[in-house]
Amino acid sequence: MKTMHPRPLSTLSLIVLHEARILVRDRTLLLVCCVLALMVGYGLFVGLAQATLRDRMVSQVLKHEQEVHTANSGTLQSVLAGQTALIPFSNPANPAAMAGTLSGRYATMPNAPLAALAIGQSDMMPNYYRITYLSKVQFMYDTEIENPWNLLSGHFDLAFVIIFVLPLLVTTLGYNLLSAEREHGTLRMLCSQPVSIATLMTGKVVVRMLALLAIVIPLPLVVLLLIRPEARGAEQLVLMLSWSALVAAYTLFWFAVAALVNTVGLSSSTNALIMVALWTILVLILPVTMNLAVGLVSPAPSRTELANRTRVATAESLREYEDLYSADYRYASDPEALLVKNERIEVPSRMRAFFLAKQKVDERIEPLLKRFDQQLLQQQKLVDRLSLLSPAMLVNEALTSIAGTDSHRFLAFKDQTEAFHNEWRQYFSPRIQESRAMTMRDLSSLPRWHWIEIPASEINWSIWWRAMLMLALASVLGGLALARSSRGSIE
Amino acid sequence: MFAIIAAKDLRVLTRDGRLLWAGGLVVILMLVALAAGWNRQVQLNSERSAGQALDYDAWLHQGYRHPHDAAEQGMHVFKPEPSLAVFDPGIGPFVGSTVWLQAHRQSEVKFRPAQDATGLQRFGELSPAWLLQVLLPLLIIVIGFNSVSDERERGTLRQLLSLGAPTRSLLYGKAAALASCVGILIAPVGLAFAVLIVARLPAGERVDVVYRIAWLAAGYGLYLGFFVFLTLAVSALARSSRTALVLLLGFWVAATLIAPRTASEATNLLHPTPSRLDFDNQLAHDVADAGRKAWSTHFGARTPWDPSVPLSKWGAALKVDDEAGYGALDENFGRLWDTFERQQRAQEWVGLVAPVVALRGFSMGLAGTDFSQHRDFSTAAEAQRRKIQNIVSEDLIEHADRLGNAHFTYKAGPELWATVPQFKYELPSVSFALAHHWASLALLAVMFCLSVALAQFALSRPLMR
Repeated sequence: MKTMHPRPLSTLSLIVLHEARILVRDRTLLLVCCVLALMVGYGLFVGLAQATLRDRMVSQVLKHEQEVHTANSGTLQSVLAGQTALIPFSNPANPAAMAGTLSGRYATMPNAPLAALAIGQSDMMPNYYRITYLSKVQFMYDTEIENPWNLLSGHFDLAFVIIFVLPLLVTTLGYNLLSAEREHGTLRMLCSQPVSIATLMTGKVVVRMLALLAIVIPLPLVVLLLIRPEARGAEQLVLMLSWSALVAAYTLFWFAVAALVNTVGLSSSTNALIMVALWTILVLILPVTMNLAVGLVSPAPSRTELANRTRVATAESLREYEDLYSADYRYASDPEALLVKNERIEVPSRMRAFFLAKQKVDERIEPLLKRFDQQLLQQQKLVDRLSLLSPAMLVNEALTSIAGTDSHRFLAFKDQTEAFHNEWRQYFSPRIQESRAMTMRDLSSLPRWHWIEIPASEINWSIWWRAMLMLALASVLGGLALARSSRGSIE
Repeated sequence: MFAIIAAKDLRVLTRDGRLLWAGGLVVILMLVALAAGWNRQVQLNSERSAGQALDYDAWLHQGYRHPHDAAEQGMHVFKPEPSLAVFDPGIGPFVGSTVWLQAHRQSEVKFRPAQDATGLQRFGELSPAWLLQVLLPLLIIVIGFNSVSDERERGTLRQLLSLGAPTRSLLYGKAAALASCVGILIAPVGLAFAVLIVARLPAGERVDVVYRIAWLAAGYGLYLGFFVFLTLAVSALARSSRTALVLLLGFWVAATLIAPRTASEATNLLHPTPSRLDFDNQLAHDVADAGRKAWSTHFGARTPWDPSVPLSKWGAALKVDDEAGYGALDENFGRLWDTFERQQRAQEWVGLVAPVVALRGFSMGLAGTDFSQHRDFSTAAEAQRRKIQNIVSEDLIEHADRLGNAHFTYKAGPELWATVPQFKYELPSVSFALAHHWASLALLAVMFCLSVALAQFALSRPLMR
């Protein structure tokens, strides 16, 4: 008689088919997939709504800037032609007025094309600043208006669904991979067949994982490709690929955990408890504890100190320009004094003092502000290292950098804004000091803001590195589960 | 019978590894959270009171200066950290603590600690309140999910009922055992913490804080009690321990993790928050409008700072200009803050399915770290700013306006600075918090009663299946 040699691949496909049939009849898979689809849809909707809101902000401020510019050009033309009654604070020929209240530019950071995938830090950090001669402390901390309660709750975005909910759905589908068979008495029967437990488990995992991934990966990507044209570039496609790899690796990790737990041979309830305990530790407890630890190891400089230093710096600069501040102010009753003569204009000494004093304040608190940024960078480095402790942290960091809503990108925006703020001042400084009137040519040559995007290569590297690490971790656990299952008992 | 059941269950639970490991972890986390919160508070409070004193001192000793310049420099005021913020930091990290009271504009509270934080902030902050709200219900579920179902599966329930044990005793005995397990874990830490907090306070504030702690204990008691009875009910109703566990865990995930986020997204759609740009534009428009009206009635000028208004009227003009804006500021900020409060009230209804939402509002309120108390501070800070503006403008009218074009050469001295009183802000009392949050407490009580009723129904059904 010929002995039957089991062919692993065909056995596997048989198990996959059989398992799929059971799961469909059982309705568990259908229910879990529906729940997941609903959540993915809602998470994406929230992300898209936020991204649209922020897009609208940027276009609104740019439109506003354009309107102001047009209005200023009109006024300047009539001022130069001697037609407008002059008001000291709103005379566009006066460089001090133009540097501050009258003009100003918006430094804006556009949404990254995949911003809808994760809200990340974007609800706490501004994506535009109004640049005038005002001191940095006066504008650097303005953010979009948001109910603090909502900031505390966090958003229901796609990253939340992936990081928090997906592992729980994996648990629902996988806590009793083997234990249910054992409890129903069918494991004994299965073992009498020419099939190894490892193959059985692989088949079970494959069906479940494919079902989940078939929803969580294509759904958001297709929606994004359809409704956001900017997501269709080659760079974005690579990012989407890395996003898919990450999500798949994270899902695989949780299935590997489920498989490993199942090989221990405990009851279904105990398996579920162990899975939930692991989820609680890795997704809930470790990140909040690390958040606390990061604050302790690398504490932020004191905000109270910043307030105090600002006060001292403001007082000192006011005192320094005391003479200018308390000069005679004849311009109010003698507007003719504000006329442009030979391309020169008398900048009211008080307004000159405003400009100079704010500049001095910034020079004085600059070191402290730098310390805040450095500290944030240091904290972020620490988080990058600590994220190896928990897959949830690892994936969160990667997901937000794909979406461009991570703190790296906001820090880059802040840096570029500060440089632009300095450029803005440097443009006006000689004009104010030398009492040069603004000309029409000046108006069109005001410094312009250009956002320089972080190079994609930098992001790509860190994301792929994380995805590979996640995959390696999942493989180790999965391999361990398979090795154990071949030795395990069926009782 | 009640006592015997409770004692037996308690013995079983304490022998079980689940309580030891999970409970041990919760206690360790609780201690870490308390220590970190305590450390932060001690540092913050001393910094803030020192900052406040320094600032006022600098105001008094700023020498001779034009009063409007003094108002430009202004003053920083700091929000005192309520003593129970150690327990529940609430919205603190997201709203900041310092207001710069400067001329011309109402400032918002700035320097939010969350802006100095990394992406981990999104996972939440480890605080004792978070542990009690999120992890303790999980602990109750984990140790209690099979307390009835297991007896049924082993057949001991049949024996117990055959002895004539009333279901009421069974229910309350098991509930008492579960509750004491939780009590053993948190009561000693909670009590020690309460004593420390109260002992550290000046005598005048002690009574208020004791009341707050008592109300907090009541709120958390109802919340955790809800989970105790719900766990027993599901354990009795479900076909097997496994089903009970899956159902309870599903409820926990949906109610404590998913519902709060969904609720805040949904209420945002219901009562939309204006964008910063829309808000600023509306405010600027309203202020300018009010300004134009005031300038034309007082000075017959077409625009504010019209050349037709001489410098001999600039003190008066500043006063008119500032006062004209107050109404617009009150209206715009009031509308925004009302929107926030409406959003929060709308969320309270979610408490009917997810009690954690109701508890969070109540807990923050009683700890003094909720939005209504933040609003109270912001209003007080703005009142102080207006006080400074008024004093300064009056002085300008009296002295500087007489100097005509030399208006800005006028300098006031220390006597004027001393007329600005020091900013003293007292945190609102417990009755303020209760007035804002009684509905949440009522909701928790209703949920608790419902869970008791459900558990009674579940256990009174024939258990002999």
